[in-house]
Amino acid sequence: MLRVRGLTKRYGPLLALDDVGFDVPRGEIVGFLGPNGSGKTTTMRAIMRLVALDAGEVTWDGTPVDGGTRRHFGYMPAERGMYPRMKLRNHLAYYGELSGLSPESAGAAADRWLERLGLADRAEDTIQSLSSGNQQRVQLALALLNDPDLLVLDEPFSGLDPVAVEMLSDILREQVDRGAALLLSSHQLDLVADVCSAVVIVDRGRIVLRGEVAALRAASPTRYVEVEFADAVAWEPGRASDVSAGGRRHRIAVEAGTDADRLIEEARSLAPVVGYSFLPPDLSEVFLGVVGRDTLDDPQHERAEVAR
Amino acid sequence: MSDARPSDATSVVRLVARREVIERLRARSFAVATGLLVVVIIAIGVISRLGGDGGDDAIEVVTAGELPVGFEDMTGQTAGLFERTVEITERDDVDTARAAVEDGDADVAVIGESGEVVFDDGIDEEVLAILQQAWANAQVQQALGDAGLDEQQVRTALTTTPLEPVTIDGKDDGDEGLALLTGTLAGILLFISLQTFGTYVLTGVVEEKATAVVELLLVRARGSQMLAGKVIGIGIAALLQFALAIVAALVSLAISDVEVPGEIWAALPITLVWFIGGYALYSTLFALAGSLVSRQEDAQAAAMPIMSVLLLAYVMVFTFGSDPESTASTVMSILPPIAPLLMPLRMAAGAASVVEVVVALVLLAVAILAAWAATGRIYEQVLLRRGTRISWRDAAALIRRT
Repeated sequence: MLRVRGLTKRYGPLLALDDVGFDVPRGEIVGFLGPNGSGKTTTMRAIMRLVALDAGEVTWDGTPVDGGTRRHFGYMPAERGMYPRMKLRNHLAYYGELSGLSPESAGAAADRWLERLGLADRAEDTIQSLSSGNQQRVQLALALLNDPDLLVLDEPFSGLDPVAVEMLSDILREQVDRGAALLLSSHQLDLVADVCSAVVIVDRGRIVLRGEVAALRAASPTRYVEVEFADAVAWEPGRASDVSAGGRRHRIAVEAGTDADRLIEEARSLAPVVGYSFLPPDLSEVFLGVVGRDTLDDPQHERAEVAR
Repeated sequence: MSDARPSDATSVVRLVARREVIERLRARSFAVATGLLVVVIIAIGVISRLGGDGGDDAIEVVTAGELPVGFEDMTGQTAGLFERTVEITERDDVDTARAAVEDGDADVAVIGESGEVVFDDGIDEEVLAILQQAWANAQVQQALGDAGLDEQQVRTALTTTPLEPVTIDGKDDGDEGLALLTGTLAGILLFISLQTFGTYVLTGVVEEKATAVVELLLVRARGSQMLAGKVIGIGIAALLQFALAIVAALVSLAISDVEVPGEIWAALPITLVWFIGGYALYSTLFALAGSLVSRQEDAQAAAMPIMSVLLLAYVMVFTFGSDPESTASTVMSILPPIAPLLMPLRMAAGAASVVEVVVALVLLAVAILAAWAATGRIYEQVLLRRGTRISWRDAAALIRRT
């Protein structure tokens, strides 16, 4: 199990990490979520020992992470990077050897992953000749080559099309099924919620929420009733509501204990209803409720981090 | 993780170095540069053969008509005094003898009847001197024989010792000129090599930082291991190119038929030592320069201070090379950044004492260690700091603080 405790990091006046701590058990996917500039990358770099911390401790199975244990981790940095002129298979095999595999098993692992990712016929092509989607696949393979005990993936879903998201999700589940611990980050809170067994949400370097996604959503005092009409309707249910789809879709915030049926009845009496739902808020809405902001973006904090 | 190997530092360095060598040899630019070098070196041999003055070739002499008795022997002996050899062929008549010279089959024709020596266009003073003396000796020998001296007496009369040329300062100007030329050439080649392979290191480091692959590498290897692997790998590629150039030079010499003075061969191993030392110093500094920038466009600007020092050292070769015994030259040749270029020249010229060479080597080693220690301190840190260029001043502050 990965155990992160009390991570603290200052960049000049900016407190990038403020007492960040969480666990990632084997066999689980933990989502590390938060807006851009909230400290996710710094935390992940700290786990990989790429950042000198002001305070805090990272342990794997009870022992502090060092160069030796780190070799059993797989890492996908936020900033993707490979040697553009190296051939695909050579690149994978080289990194496999750097990760501690023998030349033979590094080559075998490279072939296995090229096959799995549908890139076997590109093995002798250079990295730079690949599309960005395929480069992203190779980047993932680099993290998985050595069958790591812990996977640290920084924004693995960013820039992927829906098909690739599906493929990646399958691969990640396979990894935890064979017993790996997996930490992945995302600034799109709702996108990865389904993949993760638990989430840790960070904002401005501080953890603001943690737990299972369903429980976090259910714990919210708010529910949303969403009604879609056949045609545009002017409806004023007496509560805060969002109107979209040209006036056809109405989303109304209510208290958790509210009787939704009465609202649906009211809608039906106005015009023909195509469909409706009664759901807890999305994870991002839970997050915004906790931090008391309107949008996920936090330009002030982001600027401060870039300036360092 | 069943087959994870123990990760000793040397195996990581070896892996990184091996990648550098393979990728370097695979790169078209390297193949082109090496090919060009080989072609140029061999071309020099071909050209020198075609336009060759044939200075060290046998002098091809054709003769026609009746010559003084013993002329052929005398020519051979006299040529020996000039460290030359002759091949003498007798032709049927004057016309074929002259034609042989005109067609380039022979260097010179000696015509018995008219007592002429025929050159093609220009008169080779040395060949003329050999032939004149041989001609005169043969005539004297014949005259002495006619006068009644027996063979033994004639030989005794004709045994002469040539004058030995010396200079006031006791040195052979020809040899010193050759040594200086050799040293200067070595300096130029060292400069070109240091610049070329230093630039490979520079752009290689920038590439790793610019593409961000460095973050992936740094979770598998220490910065110092990556630095060592890169410097060693590119250094091996450099030595491979150097070895190819030597082979090309041997081929070129075989083609040109020129005899290589021993001084050049003697200068080779020591030049190699200076190259390795200079490369270790400059490539480490080039790597440091590369680690400070995140874009190839900024690489040259960051490397400017290093490049300037290297250029300065190059200028020193010409400034102080012509007077290798002067105090200024001695001092300059001991300074670590200049020594790799200037000291080989002073050594070739025989102007450097053993003490000076040892001091220069020790100082160079100290400089390499210092450069290595300074770079190793901040290498990992600055490689991960992508974005704007880090100034040398900031880098120096970091080194002091770390």
